[in-house]
Amino acid sequence: MTEVAHPDHSHEEHAYAGRPPARGWHRFTYPGWLRVMWVMPLFGFALLGLTVLIRWAAHWYPLWQSGPIVAVSLVVFPFGFLGGLGAFDYWLYYMAGKRTLPEDHSTHGGRTWRDYFRPNTDHKVIGIQYLVTTMFFFVVAGFLALLFRAELANPGDQYFNPQTFNVLLSVHAGLMIFLVVVPVFAGLGNFVIPLMIGAADMAFPRLNALSYWLLPIAGTIMLVGMITPGGGPSAGWTCYAPLCSHQPLGQMFFNMGVQWAGASSILTALNFLVTIITMRAPGMTFWRMPLLVWANFSTSMLVVLATPFIAGSQFFVMFDRVLHTNFFESGRGGYTLGYQHIFWFYSHPAVYIMMLPGFGIVSEVIAVMSRKPIFGYRLMALSLLAILILGFSVWAHHMFVAGMASWLRVPMMVTTLLIAVPTGIKVFSWLATMWEGRIHFTTPMLFAVGFLANFVIGGLSGIFLGAVPIDIQASGTYFLVAHIHYVLFGGSMMTVFAGIYYWFPKMTGRMYNEKLGQLHFWLTLIGFNLTFFPMHYIGLQGMPRRVADYASRFADLNLFISIASFGLGISTVFFLYNMIWSWSHGPKAAANPWRGMTLEWQVPSPPPYFNFDEIPQVVGGPYEYGVPGARHAIFGAAKPEPVPAD
Amino acid sequence: MRRGSLLQLIALTLVAFGIGACVALFIPWLPAPDSREAGRIWFIYWFATWICLGIFAIVAAVLVFSVLKFRVKKDDLSDGPPIHGHTTLEIVWTAVPFVLVTAIAIASAVVLAKDGNAGSNPLRITVTTQQFAYTFTYPNGATYGVLRLPVDRHVLLTLHSKDVIHSFWVPNWGQKSDAVPGLSNQLVVTPDKLGTYPIICTQLCGLGHALMRSQAIVMTPTDYATWYKTAGTTTTTTPASAGTTANVATLFKTTATCGACHTFTPAGATGTLGPNLDDLTAAAAKAGQPLETYVRQSIEQPDAYITPGYHAGVMSASCCKQLSSTEIDELVQYLVQNTK
Repeated sequence: MTEVAHPDHSHEEHAYAGRPPARGWHRFTYPGWLRVMWVMPLFGFALLGLTVLIRWAAHWYPLWQSGPIVAVSLVVFPFGFLGGLGAFDYWLYYMAGKRTLPEDHSTHGGRTWRDYFRPNTDHKVIGIQYLVTTMFFFVVAGFLALLFRAELANPGDQYFNPQTFNVLLSVHAGLMIFLVVVPVFAGLGNFVIPLMIGAADMAFPRLNALSYWLLPIAGTIMLVGMITPGGGPSAGWTCYAPLCSHQPLGQMFFNMGVQWAGASSILTALNFLVTIITMRAPGMTFWRMPLLVWANFSTSMLVVLATPFIAGSQFFVMFDRVLHTNFFESGRGGYTLGYQHIFWFYSHPAVYIMMLPGFGIVSEVIAVMSRKPIFGYRLMALSLLAILILGFSVWAHHMFVAGMASWLRVPMMVTTLLIAVPTGIKVFSWLATMWEGRIHFTTPMLFAVGFLANFVIGGLSGIFLGAVPIDIQASGTYFLVAHIHYVLFGGSMMTVFAGIYYWFPKMTGRMYNEKLGQLHFWLTLIGFNLTFFPMHYIGLQGMPRRVADYASRFADLNLFISIASFGLGISTVFFLYNMIWSWSHGPKAAANPWRGMTLEWQVPSPPPYFNFDEIPQVVGGPYEYGVPGARHAIFGAAKPEPVPAD
Repeated sequence: MRRGSLLQLIALTLVAFGIGACVALFIPWLPAPDSREAGRIWFIYWFATWICLGIFAIVAAVLVFSVLKFRVKKDDLSDGPPIHGHTTLEIVWTAVPFVLVTAIAIASAVVLAKDGNAGSNPLRITVTTQQFAYTFTYPNGATYGVLRLPVDRHVLLTLHSKDVIHSFWVPNWGQKSDAVPGLSNQLVVTPDKLGTYPIICTQLCGLGHALMRSQAIVMTPTDYATWYKTAGTTTTTTPASAGTTANVATLFKTTATCGACHTFTPAGATGTLGPNLDDLTAAAAKAGQPLETYVRQSIEQPDAYITPGYHAGVMSASCCKQLSSTEIDELVQYLVQNTK
């Protein structure tokens, strides 16, 4: 640690790595968008040129072959972008032996809107960057879904040919999973976790800034893939080999988009783990952590352990295509099902990655809004760990009809069904928390209760899919579509909305509009159920998923579903309007509008740049509502180290 | 808990269970079980349904009761009773679901074992899939695009794929399996009702996935025996050597599966995924090539010229690679002679 302590805290004065603020032409060498404009093309085309040069030297013709060129481009241009933006400056200076200031805070904090458009080391800024980005992709991916629902309103071909239809559904799912539900929780966690555990920031703020900026890259790559010559990614979000290896060029954009999103996910998870393990305030034992922190702790372990597998699966199918390796090409010694084993070894835990943080949010909201301690706190935390462990032993339940070793089906079924036990514990404990509470049905609480209702349906349909004989009938059909949306939309997204409304006053310092919030809730709940519940029926009856055309006997219900889905789409307009309007015009929020006990509510709204002026001393559990005189933390017992400025 | 609350809660649970039961019973969720396997699977379905409805009813009742009874006005600043947990209750709601899911698992495992048992003398049929068609090969070597089965006999299907992963599913039979390149997946069905059923691909397999369909026809054993005897001999299995129009028409429809995607009236093919082949002269003129060259190129290098409105890569992905040059010659002649 550098022993430079300034008496004042005026961080604005201090430029990056000790350099003076840029003036004139120096702006082009200063980290930022101007530098991106030349560094990205320079770096990208230099390395592309090198690639072509190597191909020329080795006599690999044609020199400008699309596969390798696209593969290289999707690596080097993003790196050029990140370098130009300044995501690596500190580390590069350090590696080059130049003077660096480890305690430089010039990139910390959101003072103007510009601070949200550069690598920012403040976890609160990063949290908001994440949330705004993921909500943008939520709208885009939702719009894609409405497009193909329009096509599905009638049997036969209406607006899109099969290629476009497959692109729409693949990119819808890819964006929703990798750019919305997985990272949106990283966004909420980023904002809330350091505050909840009494830390000034995350353990690795610069890594944190980098992990966010990987996300717009991933999203841009996926969207650009849609308009690639030859056709976009159209093998579904599962990208099963060998179909995926023989798709048009756009498929590679999907493969690489997943890589960037996955890298973002892994880096954030590492950061969460280290932060939660090492940076808890004095007295914040594991058994005093809020359940959201527990949930993100479990999730992060899942991410760190599982995400490399999807990275592998996407690299391997791309290598089969570009490098002519034979991982999954059965005709040349590959093993086709290998893809599915590797893919689901991530993508099943991914379901818990997309659900456990939501469990955490719901635990926070239900306890605070019911004015009662969480029922069975320790069992709630332990059930998260149980899901984490069991979650790794169930991946092959996605392959019951795929032709894997048939003895594997029964053990996988048993572990799958057993996950219902810890999940059931959580549902029953939330209900018991509400029991005899003093429940305030604010928008976050409505979403939490709506989540409970939808998630119970999604969980129970999961029992059906877990039982092998029923799964044999239901897999690959709309029953599955209904199930995954009950879990990921009715479940996860409802918790996301609960979390966004719940922490909105903390993030923006303003209150959202309660009436609009409640309207959003009811429209979402009704629109969601009308859209997805009938899908159970058409699936069991015989309608497969991922088809642009279908038997005419399903026409009426599909028209109904399409109309309902447009209603569901409209509900989002109220959400967006509420968020945008309230962010600038909402009434000022109090520090603790919900009378919560956890630490984030003990600081002003929005919190100071370094969160805590005084380090909290944690003295009790986080949910001691109704316990006379109980405190979660006291302030003023210990003085924080002065933030060694700059 | 007061006795009044408990009674209300039980009443609510019964109401929720009643509503759930009505939804389960009065909507025909499942297609008619037309195979023995489906009969057993439907049993598991109902077994799981009643258990799930019970759990759903309890959760719904508690949720509704809480929402109605425990809501307070905005200005009520009181807290609820500080109840941190209840060990007995927590053990109960851990143990009871454990027992229930174990029961479902055991019943499922038993049904799974029964459904996979083809008996000692099944009818063995090989299902070959490719983009976007099924072919069924019978023990005598005959190959068809439609599956015909005798009723009440175990059928052991062995599934292969020539290109990507496909799937074989007949909703009324309850059985499904993927066809994976390089693997020989097996599936047992024992149809016990006569009828004609759709065969559906449930695994996204490319642009023609939505149209990858076939038919399964279940016949009486006598009808089947008659059909098997006659149809098995009139359809040649190796049309390559024969070269007659009827044989090439079969080649067109089954082995080469052109008919799955193309309409060609002389062969009775009605596919709509690819261009219509009924008027190839006009198409060749549009492409600016002699008819025969055009047809040959379209088979051997499908991406060389793409008919406007269609997409490159669809046909080249799988078709025609497995055809011998004799077969291609025959197909070209057949198309040239029979088109307009």
